[in-house]
Amino acid sequence: MIHFRLNAQSGVATYVQLVHQVRHALRSGLLEPGDQLPTVKEVVGSLAINPNTVLKAYRELEHAGLVEGRPGMGTFVLRSLEGPPPDKQAALRKSLQRWLQSALEAGLSPDAVLAFVDAAIRDVTEDSVA
Amino acid sequence: MTAIVATGLGMRYGKRVALRDCSMEIPSGSVTALVGPNGAGKTTLLLLAAGLLAPTAGTITVLDRTPDRDVELISRIGFVAQDVPLYGSFTVAEMLRFGQKMNHHWDQQLAQQRMEKLQIPLNQQVHELSGGQRAQVSLALALGKKPDILLLDEPLASLDPLARREFMRVVMETAADSKITIVLSSHLVADLERVCDHLVVLSSSRTQVVGEIGTLLDGHCVLVGPHCDSREPDIAGVASIVERTDSERQTSLLVRTNGPILDPKWISEPVTLEDLVLAYLARPGATALPAPRAMSQASAS
Amino acid sequence: MWLTWRQHRAQFIAGVVLCGVLVAFLVVTGLGMRSTYDSLGVATCLAATPARDCTMLFSQFQNQYSSLQFLVPLFLLLPVLLGVFWGAPLIAREVEQGTYRLAWTQSVTRRRWTVTKLFMVGSVAVILSAAFSAVLWWWADPLVGGPSVQRFKYGIFDLLGVVPVAYTLFAVALGVAAGVVLRRTTVAMVATLCGFAVARLAVELVLRPNYQHAVTAAYPLSFSSKTGPPDGAWVLAENTVTASGFAVSGDSNGISLSYVPMQHICPYLTPDSAPGSAAMQQCLTQNGIHVVATFQPYDRYWLFQGIESALFIVLAIALALFSVWWVRRRVR
Repeated sequence: MIHFRLNAQSGVATYVQLVHQVRHALRSGLLEPGDQLPTVKEVVGSLAINPNTVLKAYRELEHAGLVEGRPGMGTFVLRSLEGPPPDKQAALRKSLQRWLQSALEAGLSPDAVLAFVDAAIRDVTEDSVA
Repeated sequence: MTAIVATGLGMRYGKRVALRDCSMEIPSGSVTALVGPNGAGKTTLLLLAAGLLAPTAGTITVLDRTPDRDVELISRIGFVAQDVPLYGSFTVAEMLRFGQKMNHHWDQQLAQQRMEKLQIPLNQQVHELSGGQRAQVSLALALGKKPDILLLDEPLASLDPLARREFMRVVMETAADSKITIVLSSHLVADLERVCDHLVVLSSSRTQVVGEIGTLLDGHCVLVGPHCDSREPDIAGVASIVERTDSERQTSLLVRTNGPILDPKWISEPVTLEDLVLAYLARPGATALPAPRAMSQASAS
Repeated sequence: MWLTWRQHRAQFIAGVVLCGVLVAFLVVTGLGMRSTYDSLGVATCLAATPARDCTMLFSQFQNQYSSLQFLVPLFLLLPVLLGVFWGAPLIAREVEQGTYRLAWTQSVTRRRWTVTKLFMVGSVAVILSAAFSAVLWWWADPLVGGPSVQRFKYGIFDLLGVVPVAYTLFAVALGVAAGVVLRRTTVAMVATLCGFAVARLAVELVLRPNYQHAVTAAYPLSFSSKTGPPDGAWVLAENTVTASGFAVSGDSNGISLSYVPMQHICPYLTPDSAPGSAAMQQCLTQNGIHVVATFQPYDRYWLFQGIESALFIVLAIALALFSVWWVRRRVR
């Protein structure tokens, strides 16, 4: 059973944090298809957060096809998340290196590159979740 | 279904105006944070909703009825006043008995169970309890009559962090169990984001911000860009600027958006609830209120 | 109802204990007094026919208990005490401490809350004061039932009979009303004290003499036998006057007829004209000097008690209704 944590200072919305934690658990094998997610009441009891937030997160996961809510019984995992297959990973790595090359040539320092990447990740994840 | 509707609500005590032309709608089942500096009128608003005060201007309706002296309605509202008033010489058991005698539907078993779970001894006198325990007893009294609406006036103000967490835990568990509408006032914003889904900001006796927290945060962002000389930079996608900070090299703006920010000069970052509230409080003229009869995009101030 | 009892439990108990202590005190001293009364033979003297002059014997009895008699006026304070300590804080304390916000957000109407409080406090106050008055009446019987029955006098009228109960009820109602309006306990207590004093004095001095038109009668002046208003009457005014109405100082027993004013009328009187002398007698008859007294006869005693009680009870009820109304429409 997954146990949620909340980082109140991170600036990331609560339900987004929950979604991420479930995805991470799926990816790392902590959660497998058929496992039950904690009930809304349990999450609320341990984190003292708004039950609507938990509902929102679970709805999100349901939309993505990752979990399924069964009335009267709870929310259960449908499928697991795997990373992209190895050839996809190789292709991604290659395009990243190409981009890095052009960024460094343009004058960005390694630190600036990291800041750039951070901002871009945030933008993209917000767009996909919102 | 809206639980609480205020229209042009005003309250004055003699010469002093506590609330002025306040309008808001609080939907059923929501957990609303009522935020503002001390003296802004938060307590007054809650007292009006609880039926302890009658407005001098405008109207406030709770569950479509006026709470003033409507005992049937008041029995469906749970209220925990500031400073958590309890009868000091009563024991906890006697306070619960008070609740039982003074209310029609009262779940004595639930209340007792709750006291046991929190390890509050039933035969201890109230004035010997700690602040956190007193708050829990008050909460139990308010919740014992199974209200449809729960109003909490600065319940966390004098509690230590652990007591605060415990208190909110009980409140949230109740919210998970029932369709209860909760309004809690606080002048500390930091704790509220995880708990509340709606926000009302009161400043100088007026409503300044009213809306669903998710929508509000989505509709605002912080734009950071190179130092800008013009006073009112016109950026596509920005409805209004709420707060502006200038440094030598940089300008950062907290803005309300009405479209995507495409200008590459400006990097947009998300805004936290606390920053949002503080920015609005610092700029009394700015408002983010829903258009009348529609909880959608706010009108520019 | 349970709430009112539990909330004000301490005050009720204190009141009952105090009452108990006083009653015990009265019973003990009362029994002592009665035995002295009997041993001195005052009762037999009074019962004897023809009526003897028992004043000497009675004074002897009274002197034995003179110290106690100083205590008695303190009992006048009892109604005010109840009003100040029970009435004023009843609602004012809740407003001050904010607990009214707890009480008024339950499922009980404000009206019922106020009425229950008033009713309980009022009832207990009435019961205690009635019990106390009964005991006091019994206790005071030897003292005031004497040769010149003094129940009607200022001060004693207030202590005995039915009026103390009415005063108590009034004091409590006044206290509650003051508390409700002023919303601060100490201020309300002071206000109750002053209000009570003013009301009582006004009624006592201005209204009471006039409940019924006083009787005015003329009596001959006599130095040997008793004349004047009947026993137990409440004498409002007593003047020795000449036939033409010219006032001369003195009283119905003629004992204190003073020389100086008499000389104005009868210049032939000399300083050594004793009151019983022939010269004095001649002066008296010549000028038709007699006593005119304005008084309330004793048979009106219970009527007056009833009127005054009713007056204060009506005031108490009015104040109670006012309190309920005020709480109901009260904004804070």
